Amino acid sequence: MLRNWLCNPFVAFLRLLFICLLVQVAPSLIAQTTTGVVRGTVSDESGRAVANAAVTATGIETEQKQMTNTGPDGTYKLELSAGKYRLTFEAAGFKTLEISSVTVNGPAPEVLDGKLEKSEQVSDKPAATQQESLPNAPSSSTSAPSLSDLGLSPEQTQGNAREQALLDKRTHMLKIHQRMGLITTIPLIATVAVSFNAGGKNTSSASRDLHAALGGLTGDLYGITAYYAIRAPRVPGTKKRGPIKFHEAMAWIHGPGMILTPVLGIMAFNEKNKGEKVHGIASAHNPVAIVTAGAFGAALLSVSVKF
Amino acid sequence: MLIVVLLASLPVFAAADSQWILQQSTLTYHVSHPLHQSEGVSHGAKGKGVCHAGQCEFLIAVPVKSFDSGDSNRDLHMIQVTRGAEFPLVTVRTRLSESDAAASTINADLEIQFAGQTAHYKQVPFKVEKQGGETHITGTIPATLTDFKIDPPSLLTIPVKNDVPVRVDMTWRPQ
Repeated sequence: MLRNWLCNPFVAFLRLLFICLLVQVAPSLIAQTTTGVVRGTVSDESGRAVANAAVTATGIETEQKQMTNTGPDGTYKLELSAGKYRLTFEAAGFKTLEISSVTVNGPAPEVLDGKLEKSEQVSDKPAATQQESLPNAPSSSTSAPSLSDLGLSPEQTQGNAREQALLDKRTHMLKIHQRMGLITTIPLIATVAVSFNAGGKNTSSASRDLHAALGGLTGDLYGITAYYAIRAPRVPGTKKRGPIKFHEAMAWIHGPGMILTPVLGIMAFNEKNKGEKVHGIASAHNPVAIVTAGAFGAALLSVSVKF
Repeated sequence: MLIVVLLASLPVFAAADSQWILQQSTLTYHVSHPLHQSEGVSHGAKGKGVCHAGQCEFLIAVPVKSFDSGDSNRDLHMIQVTRGAEFPLVTVRTRLSESDAAASTINADLEIQFAGQTAHYKQVPFKVEKQGGETHITGTIPATLTDFKIDPPSLLTIPVKNDVPVRVDMTWRPQ
């Protein structure tokens, strides 16, 4: 009976649409799973290493930025997802150097050295990436207090590029999760709307086909939505607080519901097509679907509207 | 989100070579979104002022991670967009002259380093109240996301407003 349902022309059509959508999403998925390394040395015109130079990689397609600073020997290393990047090298007293396109496509490291030219004028306002603007930079005045005077621990003052990359990846995946969740609501609402013509005594098979096709599409999109939430990296040491706890609790209801609803729906679909009245466990399709859709909506609202 | 903060000041610029310590502080950023009005609060700022030859220099630093909006998901998102793991501190530097001493309001020029960027705010007004040996300072820093080249965080694909004012409430005491 499952094969009959899957071969339905409405289901086939909407699944084709889904595949087209998946093709749009796939590149970002792939980008998250392939990483590479760009490393090199930043030096001045005389070949001397430039320490604390800011090296920034900006995704040409994603506009996401990842930054690091050169060490005392002028070397740097950036771990990047596969893709094309624009690289900039900046340091106090030097002109900014930009490499317009660097392609990262595998584990083999790209070696890119930067040679900086001295700038003719030094701005009295420190640029964001100059040494003076870094959190642990020394004070400009001998009488001014410095960070070391404040009793901050090294953990509080030193940047962590790896943690920033983890947060970037988390945000990227959760943005897709959020967008896919919003997209999923469209066929979900449509599925519920057409359900009124799909289950009654006088309903046509076309109505049931449409309901089944929309339900199938909803399930597929939901699966992608859930994937990006489940696979988003966790940040160690974070205690969950606020609406996200309710949002995640709702997932324990709509998650199983999104599996159970189509299973029961297929059973009901086939019983109706045989001219039978929906009976047995298949009759639970309707209430399970309502609870599932309700939990999904509540999860969406919990992170959208402040109660 | 975020953004952040702060300020410094000092009302009574006592004698030469005196020092001031930030006793306690509350820094609150405010983020506006069509569906949400959110605030993040930090009590984690540390600060010190050093006075010499009629000039007092102040430095205040607050960990980006110390801001709590009551929603861990939002806080992580704010840390991410503000590159708080890479640049874990917001620092504020200001210099005030001794002649400002007796005023009930001071206007401070602030240099704020945040999210790997530096922004300058001219003549930010702060109210000053003396309470015993302590000096209580309140005011609002008119910070914006673009000041620090921060991409606006979004909810349901709708970005937050650019203005992220930071309320400052500090108590300083002479060391």
